[in-house]
Amino acid sequence: MKKTIFTALITALCLHMNIAQAAVDATGAEKFIQKMTDEGIEQIINANVSKAEKQTRFKKLFNDALDLDFIGKYVLGRYWRTATSQQKTDFISTYRELNTKVWSERFDEFKGKNFEFKGTTPSNSEGQIFVNTIVPMEQGEPATVVWRVKQEGNTFKVIDIIIEKVSLTMANRNEYTAYIKNNGGNIDSLINNLKAKLK
Amino acid sequence: MPNNYRLCTVLAVFALATTACTTTSAQAQSSALETYNRAVYNFNSQFQKYILKPVARGYRKITNAYTRERISNALSNVKEPIFALNHLLQGEPVQSSKDIARFAVNSTLGLAGTYDVAGQGWNLPKAKTGFDDTLATWGVEDGPFFMLPFVGPSTPRAAIGLAGDSLVNPVYWATINDANVHDKIYYPYMALNAVSLYESGMDVLDDLERNSVDFYETMKSAYLQNRKGKAADDNAVSYDFGMDDEDEDY
Repeated sequence: MKKTIFTALITALCLHMNIAQAAVDATGAEKFIQKMTDEGIEQIINANVSKAEKQTRFKKLFNDALDLDFIGKYVLGRYWRTATSQQKTDFISTYRELNTKVWSERFDEFKGKNFEFKGTTPSNSEGQIFVNTIVPMEQGEPATVVWRVKQEGNTFKVIDIIIEKVSLTMANRNEYTAYIKNNGGNIDSLINNLKAKLK
Repeated sequence: MPNNYRLCTVLAVFALATTACTTTSAQAQSSALETYNRAVYNFNSQFQKYILKPVARGYRKITNAYTRERISNALSNVKEPIFALNHLLQGEPVQSSKDIARFAVNSTLGLAGTYDVAGQGWNLPKAKTGFDDTLATWGVEDGPFFMLPFVGPSTPRAAIGLAGDSLVNPVYWATINDANVHDKIYYPYMALNAVSLYESGMDVLDDLERNSVDFYETMKSAYLQNRKGKAADDNAVSYDFGMDDEDEDY
């Protein structure tokens, strides 16, 4: 009997240790987003530098902060498995470029605005967490922006941005997979269409 | 009055038709609905391109941001009694009384609702709701996604909710007894509502459309995600889907 209790206690302790190891550093994730948004506002939006320099800085910040390889794979959905390695490389590269371009244009809209941090929410996915922020608007209710963060070791990366409860990666996934499906499963057609938007 | 009933009837028929389709095979229904949705989406796109957008641009040209905010506030203030009624129907009498207080303060001290005095100085923030939320509270299912002509993304419950809200609109009831006044006030009010709403989101919509390969799908995804998020209780995270599953469709 004593042995059974002892085994149960050891098992519980091991389980607890595993959970503790798998848990995400919530404070670290929040600090990571705080640093990223502060950098974006101070060194890009409010910086007294040329537009070209702002875009260079934004590109670096955006690519450092977001795991676009992970996101790109997710948004291609079931077609990721059937894509050739060339298509995968092309898609990720185009998706990265398009998002950098689109968000560098959108980023200026955050001028004069600040992110208020509202804690974190755990995710059901291992090694992931949601960092909650709100952006007060000039009129009306503040906008909610949630950052889905993935932790690997001591490194944090953003893998989704949820604005007003709308996940941008899921919206992309729904859009891209529907496009491929409606074009007879042609992944190249999607890649070419996205490339055309870069011009 | 007959016009609003006609609108309600049309919306209700749309809603019931899409719900009734559940008895046919799911795949055929989904395919037929998708064909219908894309056709209405194309119609709405043309309507926006040739009518709504030029009018919204004209509206932007003849007004400044300050004026547009005053107009938007006044239009929103008119809807406070709708919020109050629906909060009451949802079993929230305290919030309902706050909506009425907001309406009273903003209609007087807020100069016919052009300034949100209640929200800024009286600690009475706006709490939007409608008959759609009331139906949700009563346990009415949302139903499938479908496009409404002129209106845009919807579901059967949202369409019925929209019809319900328009039936209890104070401007509608204030002008109902005189057809001449009704024509001169209610319809321009409805048109201004549509233009003001579209103008406020026009740049975001343009940006999304420009960078999208299938804007209909983007819009549908955003609309359904937002509804799902709003329907989830406060502690639930509607967007915590697994990102490792390649096959999962959402």
